[in-house]
Amino acid sequence: MTELLVVENLQKHFPVMRGLVFQHEVGSVKAVDGVSFTVNSGETLGVVGESGCGKSTMARCLMRLLQPTGGKVIFDGRDITQLSRSEMRPVRRDMMMVFQDPYASLNPRKRVGAIVGEPLEVHRMGTDNERKRRVQELLEVVGLNPEHYNRFPHEFSGGQRQRIGIARALAVNPKLIICDEPVSALDVSVQAQILNLLKDLQRDFGLTYIFIAHDLNVVRHISERVMVMYLGKAVEIGSREQLYRNPKHPYTGALLSAVPIADPALGRARKQVVLQGDVPSPLNPPVACTFHPRCPRFVDGKCNVDTPPLDPIGGDPTHLSACHFPLEHWPMSEDEMRRIGVAVAAAD
Amino acid sequence: MPALEVIDLATSFQTDDGTVRAVAGVSFSVDKGRTLGVVGESGSGKSVTFLTLMGLLDPRLSQVSGSVLLHGEEMLGISQSRLRQIRGAKIGMIFQDPMTSLNPVKTIGWQLEEAALLHQDITRKEARRQAVQILKEVEIPFAEQRVRDYPHQFSGGMRQRVMIAMALINNPEILIADEPTTALDVTTQAQILRLMQRLQEEYGMAIIMITHDLGVVAEVANEVIVMYGGRIVEQANVDDLFVKPEMPYTWGLLGSLPRLATPGGRLEQIPGQPPSLLNPPPGCPFNPRCEYVMDICRVKLPDLDLSPAGVDHRFRCHLDPETRDRIWTVKKAGMVREDAA
Repeated sequence: MTELLVVENLQKHFPVMRGLVFQHEVGSVKAVDGVSFTVNSGETLGVVGESGCGKSTMARCLMRLLQPTGGKVIFDGRDITQLSRSEMRPVRRDMMMVFQDPYASLNPRKRVGAIVGEPLEVHRMGTDNERKRRVQELLEVVGLNPEHYNRFPHEFSGGQRQRIGIARALAVNPKLIICDEPVSALDVSVQAQILNLLKDLQRDFGLTYIFIAHDLNVVRHISERVMVMYLGKAVEIGSREQLYRNPKHPYTGALLSAVPIADPALGRARKQVVLQGDVPSPLNPPVACTFHPRCPRFVDGKCNVDTPPLDPIGGDPTHLSACHFPLEHWPMSEDEMRRIGVAVAAAD
Repeated sequence: MPALEVIDLATSFQTDDGTVRAVAGVSFSVDKGRTLGVVGESGSGKSVTFLTLMGLLDPRLSQVSGSVLLHGEEMLGISQSRLRQIRGAKIGMIFQDPMTSLNPVKTIGWQLEEAALLHQDITRKEARRQAVQILKEVEIPFAEQRVRDYPHQFSGGMRQRVMIAMALINNPEILIADEPTTALDVTTQAQILRLMQRLQEEYGMAIIMITHDLGVVAEVANEVIVMYGGRIVEQANVDDLFVKPEMPYTWGLLGSLPRLATPGGRLEQIPGQPPSLLNPPPGCPFNPRCEYVMDICRVKLPDLDLSPAGVDHRFRCHLDPETRDRIWTVKKAGMVREDAA
């Protein structure tokens, strides 16, 4: 398997300015703070995390819609972070994006044909007639009627609009599609249609996806590998099975156990870990391990002093976790999690 | 006597394009200390049902019929002043978006006190004491200091706690929660759901939880109603609904969930879109999207019949019991196979 995208130590810091005339920087929001991962050709990497963890900012940095503060984004063997606008243009053809809100991401004054055909026009592909034929073909591929070519976005429902957004992303035959919460604005039954469509397209066109979502069930369904983010950092990366069956980072465990199970009997029987407090402000993140103030396994003098590196766990090079005291097994109750933390503290 | 009983409720709106029948023939009841889950997609009528019974719809624009009994007292058609006495005192309500439901220019304490002063004959000092007390109840740290803070100084989860505190400050018998956790992150959602369950055990109020999330329903509800196209299409206790759903729409909903236990495979999808309430299909509202549709489904609305298996399990479907059993057995087997994989 070849690596399509390699991200090394990606950073995006937003300066916080004060002062009216003499502006000076008083701090920075580290929205993305040293994230490294790879995406293989033809696979889906799921990215999960709560709001404010930097997953959308990261996506925008990968596309160079935002200029990263540091780090490398190596796409197809080439670092794209320092490319000029004109050098970026052919690269943009290979990476497209599907957005969360199907209402805001389609221009209400343009017809569907123009919306889906715009990438073709931007990259000067084909004649007018060829473009029209291509757009109609794309509409059919995503399950819309080619006769919808002359309609406006408001004539479509949410699910259909998301299909239009997907058709637009497919127009120039990209290698990589970054989907930023593509189904979270949709009803469950429509969500299933879109997830199935994305899977079919991947199979038919050999697409690579980065699939960003806050819904762990959706990410599990669609992804081969999953990355969990917390406060701008990746805290765990692994295959779907590794991450969901055997999470190592306490935050991953807490996320998994917070997801409501649509089965009353299973739900009552399971062990639950409910985290205290909220995600801290990225303006002033906790020192060392950023998760330590909420972590049930917090060990004073270790977690708030040493930053845990994102390292392979248990000799498995594909399963990385950034924790000093990774979970021994799963599922685990809150008490079990805490007890081990206490034991370690006592041994020190 | 149930805390709340709704009988044959119907709501329609007059629009320029014709009459929208948002809710029709909805009947249910909730007992003290129980939680009723109301599930449905957008446009299913779940929110309108509860806006109607709270008297929050503009009477000039909507027609309402049926009966809503709060401890035996009729609530439809009563005076605005009586409604104001009931709302906030006997029925509390929490909305989806805690940012827009709080006044940004008043302190949290002021807003909580206002709720108490409206319904109780107490001094502002006593109201302040109650406000601090209830903030402690919803687990807001440093409640004495935080009553002086403004909504923007709270996080989303904290604001939703404040909303819950405000709904509970007058110790209502019924708490209506309209998508209370939809705008929250999953770890915060778990905190809020746990809090609501604890408060219910403590105060014994009935909770009506309106949501589109079957997972949330499975976790907190005792009874569930499934709404589609403005009607109740299935009604059961939570275990019956998840173990043996009877209605094709409920099957589709369960099958389309990317559940923690079903990686890989294809999701079952319900084709098409939810129906327009302006121009609803004749017969069963689900018939245009139903894969088992028969001629009768396009003509006659099925009654909300009792299921042969469960107690108080009702559903609308023309399919005969054997066929339904057969279909569900096959569907369930499919889900279990994926669970094991």
